Amino acid sequence: MAYLTWKERLKIPTYDNPEYARSGRVVIDHGKCNGCGNCALICPGACLYVAGVGKNKKCYLMEGEFPDCMSCNDCAAMCERNAITVSQTYDFGYFYKILHRGELSPPRRF
Amino acid sequence: MTEKLDIEVKPATAEGEAKMYTWEEGMDWNPVEKVILERRSTRKYKDKQVPEALIRRILEMARFAPSAGNSQPWRFMVIRDKKMIEDMERYVRLRCKILKFFLDWRTSPLGKLAWLYAQMGARIMPNDMHPIPMSAIGLIADGKLDLFHGAPTVILIFKDKRGAAKPEVDVGICGQNMVLAAHSLGLGTCWIGFVELLKYGIKWRRKLGISFPYDLAEGMAIGYPVAHPDGMIERELREIEWYEGSQWKTVL
Repeated sequence: MAYLTWKERLKIPTYDNPEYARSGRVVIDHGKCNGCGNCALICPGACLYVAGVGKNKKCYLMEGEFPDCMSCNDCAAMCERNAITVSQTYDFGYFYKILHRGELSPPRRF
Repeated sequence: MTEKLDIEVKPATAEGEAKMYTWEEGMDWNPVEKVILERRSTRKYKDKQVPEALIRRILEMARFAPSAGNSQPWRFMVIRDKKMIEDMERYVRLRCKILKFFLDWRTSPLGKLAWLYAQMGARIMPNDMHPIPMSAIGLIADGKLDLFHGAPTVILIFKDKRGAAKPEVDVGICGQNMVLAAHSLGLGTCWIGFVELLKYGIKWRRKLGISFPYDLAEGMAIGYPVAHPDGMIERELREIEWYEGSQWKTVL
């Protein structure tokens, strides 16, 4: 039982290429966000930022260059208004492909 | 027989309160599970120093961690000096800049050669060159990510290379004991793997006494968190292979 083909094993993905690398992604509910910036303060990938003034001060996810979001969910735990949800987990192609992973789920009581 | 009478009869727990050392289906989280589920890495600390006795209490938890053959292959170093923590951070940042120069082909003036180094490195050290730590190297080098996040106390965990079987696993277990204890006592922690870069500097090897049989394995930042980073979150499910009644099944 092979989990990776030889081609996959030998090819190391370059993480800046969107073909091989998919970063994590968070969705920010701007109705709930008050732009306190706590999430941007603790983001280990430095991929959240706060922009705007006064009531329009909101948190945004970096766009453009490859954001380093690793879907760690720390921002969601930090947010006191539950404005952040992680919508996509990170994944890479070829050698660093993530195996045997399911959907996102909160802790389940068995 | 008189000793048996000394066993204290515990009062029945109140309705809804989770019990320890017992299980019924679908019951509420007990305190231990709660700490495990709510623990998040803290990446911003208050300036307030943690009392010495509290750190000693956390280190006491590490002493009682299971280890292969009871070899206890660990050693701890507590650093509570602000200047020393800043110095360590500066040194690791410098190392990250050097690594970024040689390995990050997008920004390196070496160009194609850096790409070649990165490809070779990933084959020799696939864990160190995983895309996530690679981008963290870039962020630390650019000053976008702090190393110790302003923590007033840093614990360095050393591994005794002569330990029985798998000393790095034992170090991880004792570290997890400390992390869970710290969170249950109202502190925040964060594992800092990048302290490993300190062992590549002769100055730091001397200063921290990194020499055989000890090897710097992990670092841990401890302090009072800013705001409330702890809380339950969503995580990916993992596939579990299950063999029972001469049949395989996959559960999520």
